[in-house]
Amino acid sequence: MTGQATTAPSTAIRLAGVSKTFSTSSGDVVALDDIDLDVPEGGFVSLLGPSGCGKSTLLRVIGDLVTPTAGTVEVAGTSAAEARRTRQYGMAFQAPGLMDWRTVRRNIELPLQVQGVGRAERRQRADEMLELVKLTQFADHRPRQLSGGMQQRVAIARALAMQPRVLLMDEPLGALDEMNREHLQRELLRIWRATGTTVVFVTHSIPEAVFLSTEVVVMSPRPGRIASRIPVDLPYPRTDETRLTDEFQAAERHVRERLHAVLEPSTAGL
Amino acid sequence: MAATRTAPRPGAAVAPPAAPPPTARQPRRARAQVGRSLRDLATSVALVAAALLAWEGYKALGRATGDLVPFTSLPLPVATDDAAMPHVWQVVAALAGPASAASDQSLLAYYLQQTSVTLREAAYGLALGAAVGVGLALLMRQIPWLGRASMPWLVVSQTIPLVALAPVVVVWIGGAGFPSWVAVTVISAYLAFFPVTLNTATGLLSADPTHVELMRSVAASPLQTLLLVRVPAAVPSFFTGLRLAATASVVGAVVGELSAGAGLGIGRAILTAAYYYSLAPANLYAAVLVASLAGVVFVQVIALAERLVLSTREN
Repeated sequence: MTGQATTAPSTAIRLAGVSKTFSTSSGDVVALDDIDLDVPEGGFVSLLGPSGCGKSTLLRVIGDLVTPTAGTVEVAGTSAAEARRTRQYGMAFQAPGLMDWRTVRRNIELPLQVQGVGRAERRQRADEMLELVKLTQFADHRPRQLSGGMQQRVAIARALAMQPRVLLMDEPLGALDEMNREHLQRELLRIWRATGTTVVFVTHSIPEAVFLSTEVVVMSPRPGRIASRIPVDLPYPRTDETRLTDEFQAAERHVRERLHAVLEPSTAGL
Repeated sequence: MAATRTAPRPGAAVAPPAAPPPTARQPRRARAQVGRSLRDLATSVALVAAALLAWEGYKALGRATGDLVPFTSLPLPVATDDAAMPHVWQVVAALAGPASAASDQSLLAYYLQQTSVTLREAAYGLALGAAVGVGLALLMRQIPWLGRASMPWLVVSQTIPLVALAPVVVVWIGGAGFPSWVAVTVISAYLAFFPVTLNTATGLLSADPTHVELMRSVAASPLQTLLLVRVPAAVPSFFTGLRLAATASVVGAVVGELSAGAGLGIGRAILTAAYYYSLAPANLYAAVLVASLAGVVFVQVIALAERLVLSTREN
């Protein structure tokens, strides 16, 4: 399990033979089965698949929140555990998970506070992040005074506060309406390009995965496996016009076909 | 939910987009709030008045029928003569009258003075109980196996009849050379700690799993997760426990005084009034009335503290 520095500098995350089995009262459940995956430095990789395909588990294995049963996880040349200990990760979840007893600014400061960053620098970094997500005016508001989309932007700012090498996102836009969702997708791309962070993004939306990603990883359920990896060659910056192009729609169709190929055998077996 | 609200445009928070209507909203809302609390107060007073009317009505009924249920020969559950149920005005008159034949202090003043002694003991007991309660809750949360193993014994501690335990505490603490109010405080704390422990422990467990996972993802130490996530999440539950504990601490102080043998405190005064019940039945009712009103005030003070803390935290 020792992660030697064998990773090429251009590879941010490398998974080899990763499996995860959960023991439940009704027997063992294989959530992940023999996953190999490379994510290049600065890449934006989406994990796409039906419910129960293990995409959230895979994200948590990368972030060292779940320990794999077998296999190795390397992040920035070290083990995932070491990467977490040295605070290489920023995480955002489906629920914004902001703390009501803190102002927006103090929510963003939280990871820095954990890290032991001094008060003045914390405040300065939080203000930079607020500018990045365009919420400077709301610094002293309480989270629940903000709309759902704005709360999610605060959560993203919080995830970025420590300037992590890897941003792990678990359906962060899943709870938003379509308008807000597309708006935040554009914002997310802008932030990603501004920071150069490596992103692993879990979603169950095909258009979202295609619009955002440099590569879409389609997963199949029971046991969770990687069914196919589809590079998306659409040029950045991607805009709302991108969604209307033939290239975008062709890419979307391609991903859709792969995803359906995953679903067919499992439904045929029932 | 905030999510259902439309997002304010950036800038909306700095300057209101449209000029507010000439009659500012803030005073109107404040006035509505004052109106509501006045109505609540009036309702509370009306409930008391209704209870007093019911008391006098029942008494009048019993007097008219010779303590029988009307149109039957069945006796009423409680006799209505002045020894069993003094008139409301007799209780009031007793409060206004002298505390004893040799004293020029009114009974009300005497009971209030005794109550202040009891409330001080209850306040000390509540403070001690809250401190112990929070300490136990933190310990149980940080060492789960210890928490699981000790919970049944904490429950047992509250099922032991206080009247059996109180004299033992008095003997121990008195034997150690402390004044009797210390024993009363300890007995009060003994009742007060439990609701604080239970509610705070529940609050510590109620932390949002997303917050806990977030803290793990940034490699927070267990102590940081406790202080930055679990403790703030537990504050509302702590206050729920504290309000229950405030009631319990007054009961504990009164019962403690009965056993402590000191001549001070409303519990002691209630006991004395009970001894002389046949001579002056209204005095016992008067003492109980003063004690319960004092208890209400005590709990209200705690509730006010709760509102202050929670509102400064949220605004």
